[in-house]
Amino acid sequence: MPRIGSAFVIALGLAFTGCSHPALFSKDVLRSVDENFDLTAWRSAPNASAGHTIKVGGKLVQADLMERGTLIVGMQLPIVEHPAYGPTEMGKRSDSFEFALLYSGKIDPGALSPGNRFIAVGLIQRTKVVEVDGAPKTEPYLLARCIHIWRTEGREIADFPNVGGGYYPLEEDTYCTKEP
Amino acid sequence: MSVTTSIVLLCGLILVIDETAWIRTAWTADLRTPSAPETQPLLLPQEPKPPSRPPLPVRPVTPDSTTVEDLLLEKGSITMDDWIRIKAEEEYRLADREKRIDVLERWKNKTEQLPILTDKINIGLNALQFLYTHNDAHVAEGKSQDNFSIRRSEFIMWGKVSEHLPRWHVLFEFQSISLSRETPAVVSGAGATGQPASATFFRESYIDYRPVLAWAPNLNFIRMGIFRMPFGIFTETSGGLRDVISSPYLTSVGSGNGNSTGAAGTIDFLQERDLFIDVRGRIANRVEYVAGIMNNNNFQANATGANAPKSVYSRLRFLVTDVSWVSATVIAGESNNANTNINGRGKGAFDRIGLDFRYTSKLIPGFMVQGEWWQGHDGANQTTVGRGANGACLNTSICGGSGAPGVQRRTWYVLAKYLITDGYFRNWEPVVMYEQFDPNTAISNDLYTRTIVGLTYYFENMPPKIQSKLQINYEFRHHQGNGPGNAVDSTPGVGDPFAQNTFLVQWQIRYM
Repeated sequence: MPRIGSAFVIALGLAFTGCSHPALFSKDVLRSVDENFDLTAWRSAPNASAGHTIKVGGKLVQADLMERGTLIVGMQLPIVEHPAYGPTEMGKRSDSFEFALLYSGKIDPGALSPGNRFIAVGLIQRTKVVEVDGAPKTEPYLLARCIHIWRTEGREIADFPNVGGGYYPLEEDTYCTKEP
Repeated sequence: MSVTTSIVLLCGLILVIDETAWIRTAWTADLRTPSAPETQPLLLPQEPKPPSRPPLPVRPVTPDSTTVEDLLLEKGSITMDDWIRIKAEEEYRLADREKRIDVLERWKNKTEQLPILTDKINIGLNALQFLYTHNDAHVAEGKSQDNFSIRRSEFIMWGKVSEHLPRWHVLFEFQSISLSRETPAVVSGAGATGQPASATFFRESYIDYRPVLAWAPNLNFIRMGIFRMPFGIFTETSGGLRDVISSPYLTSVGSGNGNSTGAAGTIDFLQERDLFIDVRGRIANRVEYVAGIMNNNNFQANATGANAPKSVYSRLRFLVTDVSWVSATVIAGESNNANTNINGRGKGAFDRIGLDFRYTSKLIPGFMVQGEWWQGHDGANQTTVGRGANGACLNTSICGGSGAPGVQRRTWYVLAKYLITDGYFRNWEPVVMYEQFDPNTAISNDLYTRTIVGLTYYFENMPPKIQSKLQINYEFRHHQGNGPGNAVDSTPGVGDPFAQNTFLVQWQIRYM
């Protein structure tokens, strides 16, 4: 009986931990995040939202290595819990928008492929003119403190590891800087 | 001048004066409020207003934006009729352009719904491989020890119907249309030879079903069909992503007919594919599980003996990091040696246990090492495909087959590789693998060993989707024998191919 009880407790523990999403960032990083921030407000009034610390998910459109760090242009996507935690294109969305973020640390170039999914935590700044596909665009702008990147290369996170006619694990990494 | 003519002229004069007054009013208004442009376009009567597009703002008639025709009108170079005609033509062109854009948008909307652009249907090349092999083993008269072949020619199609049907998948092996013989159930007579069966063209076909979205990824989906079995690492790795050319001995080893030791003949220890149904998921983002039931008859069961004795299987994989893990697999059930396409399993209780690991280094990018260890029991009377077999009888003169008792087999391998990502040797990848296969752990002189050294050059390396490469492998093979007192002839050009070193070169294209 004690064995059955232990097994039950372990199973219950696994079930509960299974319900929570993985902790991508430290509590220290997440402490200042405005959980109730409305991203559509950032889209509609990008300068008025300056000063807010937010968590935003997206799909990498392009990345440029600069002197100050890595400038990423991304398409904002909703972060979901199911079928796998992370940004997703699941379902039709019309309110996604393009934005730029600067991460001042180093990121493995292999993680910067277009289509990769990411979640970034950072401070909203005033809009910035960035070059997208060779044309200057004024984009909502974020100074990222941390960024977590899934190397999905255009696929959904939930598609892994069952892609490409076999098992292929999804590589993911978190990058953080002390100074945003 | 008639009364009618006078009325017509008078009306025309009124219209002209009225039009001029309207324009002057507009000028005045725009001069007063230069920052307030008109927002309603002037459309021709025959052009209905497009419902789906917002109206384009008409250029305001201000000193800053005065058009040429406005200036000409102001200077009296053109008449008001000319000005109206020019404006009408301009509006007509604008409306025509908008109409064309609407047509294009309608087509764009239709095109965006096409299955090929909505992830519902995808098509790709899983692997196209051209292989050169040199093996010093004995070959029949007229054959060569140097072989050119197409190792794989696999097209793959897959798609996602919805979140509840997250994947369908088919894989066609275009060069595998040859027939293979199923194991006959009788020793002599008309049924002594296994009937030919072709089942390899549709090599993989499966459907994933996710019952409840909110349960994923803990209970991610149920998979049913034919696919690479979740047995360790190599079995589940696509043929287009493998690091060495040959499959490890755990899938198949040996040649010739079986004998009473259970160590001789072709032994298929782990099938790569099978007909199955299983459930898969991930717990706490660190533990992946699979549990299911299969026919235990290899993928060729697609055409023959689909209702073979069943086996259950389960795998737990502990993810130490996102790309490094340790896992354990268990398979247990029953095997049958009659009317199947699988080799050397015998009839009776059947089991396999396996451990595997992979370490993908983040400290040394490009370095990876993996290994697998497997052990398991076969039923009695193992046989090779095409030889008569019936039940667990040990008397080959009565029941056929090899007559060997059920044996315990064991195998393991370790593989390491390092992809050079910088410098002159960028995209080159040295690889080394060592493996052992013991067909019968109870007897001696039956061990297979192999060391593979290889070098791979990647033309394109974006796994899992794209991998075009050239692989060069040299295999140092050794085979002790088929049991005590059963030595194999290791003379080059004469003996057992598993006792002869082999050189292989393979070109591959994979694109999906």
